[in-house]
Amino acid sequence: MSETHKTDSEHGTVQSYVVGFILSLIFTLIPYYLVVHQTFSSSALLPIIIGFAVIQMIIQITFFLHIGRGPKPNWNLFFFASTVGIILVVVGGSIVIINNLHYNMQPSDQTKKLIADEGIYQIGGQLTGACREQAANHQVIINNSRVIPVRVLANQCDTLTFISGDGSARKVVFGTYPQNQSYAGESNLVIRKGQNQTITLSQTGAYRFYDQSHPAVSGEFVVGQ
Amino acid sequence: MTEHEIEAHEAEADERTMFGFWVYLMTDLLMFAVLFAVYAVLHNNTSGGETGRELFKLPLALTETIILLTSSFTCGIAMIAARQRKKAQTLVWFGITFLLGLTFLTLELNEFASLIREGYTLQSNAFMSSFFVLVGTHGLHITLGLLWMAITLGYVIKRGLNGPLVRKLALVSLFWHFLDIVWIFIFTIVYLRAFL
Repeated sequence: MSETHKTDSEHGTVQSYVVGFILSLIFTLIPYYLVVHQTFSSSALLPIIIGFAVIQMIIQITFFLHIGRGPKPNWNLFFFASTVGIILVVVGGSIVIINNLHYNMQPSDQTKKLIADEGIYQIGGQLTGACREQAANHQVIINNSRVIPVRVLANQCDTLTFISGDGSARKVVFGTYPQNQSYAGESNLVIRKGQNQTITLSQTGAYRFYDQSHPAVSGEFVVGQ
Repeated sequence: MTEHEIEAHEAEADERTMFGFWVYLMTDLLMFAVLFAVYAVLHNNTSGGETGRELFKLPLALTETIILLTSSFTCGIAMIAARQRKKAQTLVWFGITFLLGLTFLTLELNEFASLIREGYTLQSNAFMSSFFVLVGTHGLHITLGLLWMAITLGYVIKRGLNGPLVRKLALVSLFWHFLDIVWIFIFTIVYLRAFL
């Protein structure tokens, strides 16, 4: 009697399969419903649907595979746990590393950047906001202690040239330290040694910028219509 | 050896085989994990082509999921019958499992065919490459599983349900449950995620 009971719990009963099947169905339909009806924002939905998948995996491992119910020590479970560990490192690590690489190798807003860089001012008759032709040029000189002039007033489609006062390399970051911002798809501009950097002012509004190595050295440019 | 000893010996052999197969499944799982990582990294690289949202049909993916889940369930029921040495029941339930698996495979191949007709192949872009490799590898496993199931069932019909055959069926069913678990993640990460 005790032996039959042991085999039953190890290999599963009709009841355990039915329970596992119904639970799996429920945990398939809920995320499907959530996605079809867009119940949450997509950034919130992703962890939710992955959570449902993981729960369903645990359900199937418990009710269909019966791992963790055999005699101890349970080597199957041990091996499974170590595999999950490796998967977390490989998959998680790849995603983190490659996303970081993507982030650092592409402009933060690729389309906008492409439109501005290529001067595509209309797509299918719709204006993109990129400049058709460039107008006046403005200059700011960045020194170790200050920015001259501190405020640049410009019109849309003018250009703005960042000059390093002493000719050394600098990184100009948009925003107010430590709160960064992006301008026309760029989060920062790198001025190489002995060179200038010019941007087209395609986006209107008031924007601040600062020198990354001297956050106190900051300036502003206002782009009007 | 007494009958009890033989039984104990067989149970031990049974357990060892299962563990060996389990180790294989875990290495297979690692391969799938790498393919998932590749897909997760490349799924936005459509090089201007259509994204998953435009290419995938969510109701079809749900149908495939439910068919495979049901087949995993009937496979479990078949295994209970096999352990009780009920040959007719075993054949019926495994037969249902096989047909469901075949339906799943047909739907998947249809989906691939319609994508290829629309001009989306393995070479189209990084997204399509990673999609076809990930889902195709799973489909290949399903194909092999069906073949293995059919051959084993052929032996059952020919020789009846003896101990070694029950052990073989147990491995097939373990493989089948495993493929269903992998599919849950394909359904979630490939199909549902495309519609977020």
